[in-house]
Amino acid sequence: MQQINRKQTAFDILKILLMTVVLGAILILICGANPWEAAQLFFRGMFGTFSSFAEIFVKACPLILTSLGCAIAFKTGFFNIGAEGQFYVGALGTTVVALYLPGVSGIAKIVLALSIGFICGGLWALIAAVLKAKFNISEIIVTIMLNYIAINFLGYAVRSFLMDPAGNVPQSEKIASDARLAIFIPSTRFHVGILIAVCCVALVWFLMEKTTVGYELTAVGTNKRAAGCNGISVFKNIVLSAFLSGGFAALAGGIEVLAIQKKLLEGISSNCGYTAVLVALIAGNRPFGVLAVSVLYAAMQVGANSMQRQMGIPSSIVNILIGVVVVLILGKELITLSRHPKQTQ
Amino acid sequence: MLQRILSIGFLTTFLSAAVRLAMPLMYAGLGETISEKSGLLNIGMEGVMISGAFFSFVGAWFSGSLLVGLLSGMLGGIMVSALHALLTIRLAKDQSVTGLAVNMLMLGVTSFLYKLLSTGQSYQQVGTLPTLALPLLSKIPLIGEAFFNRDLLTYVLYLLLLLVWLFYRKTDLGLSFMSIGENPRAAASAGIPVHRYQWIVMLLNGLLGGVGGAYLVLVQLGVFTVEMTSGRGYIALATVILGRYTPFGMFGAALLFGAANALQIRLQTIGVSISPYLLNILPYAITLVAMLMAIGKNNQPEALGKPYIKGSR
Repeated sequence: MQQINRKQTAFDILKILLMTVVLGAILILICGANPWEAAQLFFRGMFGTFSSFAEIFVKACPLILTSLGCAIAFKTGFFNIGAEGQFYVGALGTTVVALYLPGVSGIAKIVLALSIGFICGGLWALIAAVLKAKFNISEIIVTIMLNYIAINFLGYAVRSFLMDPAGNVPQSEKIASDARLAIFIPSTRFHVGILIAVCCVALVWFLMEKTTVGYELTAVGTNKRAAGCNGISVFKNIVLSAFLSGGFAALAGGIEVLAIQKKLLEGISSNCGYTAVLVALIAGNRPFGVLAVSVLYAAMQVGANSMQRQMGIPSSIVNILIGVVVVLILGKELITLSRHPKQTQ
Repeated sequence: MLQRILSIGFLTTFLSAAVRLAMPLMYAGLGETISEKSGLLNIGMEGVMISGAFFSFVGAWFSGSLLVGLLSGMLGGIMVSALHALLTIRLAKDQSVTGLAVNMLMLGVTSFLYKLLSTGQSYQQVGTLPTLALPLLSKIPLIGEAFFNRDLLTYVLYLLLLLVWLFYRKTDLGLSFMSIGENPRAAASAGIPVHRYQWIVMLLNGLLGGVGGAYLVLVQLGVFTVEMTSGRGYIALATVILGRYTPFGMFGAALLFGAANALQIRLQTIGVSISPYLLNILPYAITLVAMLMAIGKNNQPEALGKPYIKGSR
């Protein structure tokens, strides 16, 4: 039975992949370009040079961490759409520490900056968690509100107390070079933060699969009432999962500041907080799945950017394809053409 | 300074701008109110609005007629909601995931199509709806200018608000539509066709959300830009909650969001320096506080966001 299911799933994935490729080709044809040529550019953009290959991981890094956060939250039944806001709160916290904390420098400062960022993002997510766990207020709406509050507050911060006094641009001062995350592979942008992200994936996998804490988190997500009846605290677990979830999204923001931007400014998330929700869903909330899907998404983005530069094919194709993939995954029953869709509650 | 703010002239232009900026939210918020009352949460409202905006622009551009533009904007919105309905009603999928997927899909589709359309042409402008001053009413000091010297779509909205309010308050059918948002199983056993009603509200949701997006193009700006809705679909969700799931409540909430927006513009023009970003936070914070204050009163439909599966217990 299990084997049949696995075969069926693999077949479904293959079918969805095929449909995505065909749709991509059709979209390129609509642009009046040759799909074969475009595909060559697509792959040359990804694998052409070593530094462009490394760029995939640079783009994937924030997505891995935000999606990881979403996956933890979803596993516990906490529908966190607030990764976008938590990302910025983390970026803000990290920047403040990296710029203004006196007395420490070097690695200690980096660790401290990222940890404070993590805690800030975690606390930001806690607002929604407490409202849900205590008062049963929809976390979906609360996290969306919190996103806008965080984004607008960042807009205020980089124009007032955090603004670089030397310039007229809404951005913070440059972070001193000893507090930046180092480049790991010379002559690319492959930075240490990417390794941190991969370690986090492994850690979360261990936490969720091999420990009691992870078991309790999953139990609350599977059946709140049953978990409660068996002595697992629903409140504690929702709060914990929200804290971790917000923390990882915030870590993504902190790393983006310390490794890529070297200063705080608006729009640095490039919407990865919203993309993360879909990535976590495609990955089935599995940590290593999140890693794979994030890298795949980033690869598509890098490849599509190269198509856009060279052939003028809009890179929004990637958004369309991701949207279609999610719709296809949700609507599997539509493509298996069964007259009576299997519906599970 | 305070005197300049409290002058009639300032208040009139401020209120007028508030209503103008709130109108897309009001259409989208009304559509969302209707669907949420029947238990369907459409987080994809952002996608509905951007689709409405894009297709209204395309319709108006190619036909040269604003009416065709408006109709194609409606159709654009309905298409998106129909996809959401297919996944959430027919296949009983998670409404939040579906909504976000729909948003991403439509942001991609509209910017893709717009880039195809605009190659070679730099600036494309369509006409905008003229304002029609209502006789007598528009002469009322302060509010006359703001509420009754507007375009046709605004007046249609007033009428719709009234009709929707009457529908839920005074008719049996309205009660049926509300009941499927509270307890769909009980409603079904009372002979109400739950899925058919849910389809109806989702299509209305798309139609009104589409008009909300079209309003940006056909009344406010006359152009389409990529991602021009910039989060208005999400704000519309907030107006519904802040408005406690009633049409007139939603009207007030949308007006508040419009006012916060308008205030920042007006204050800047008279040289008062409050950060617009801090002002922008205000309506969101108010929404959160309103949600806190509503604890215990619970006006949210009981079955909101939960899929109804025929024959399940």
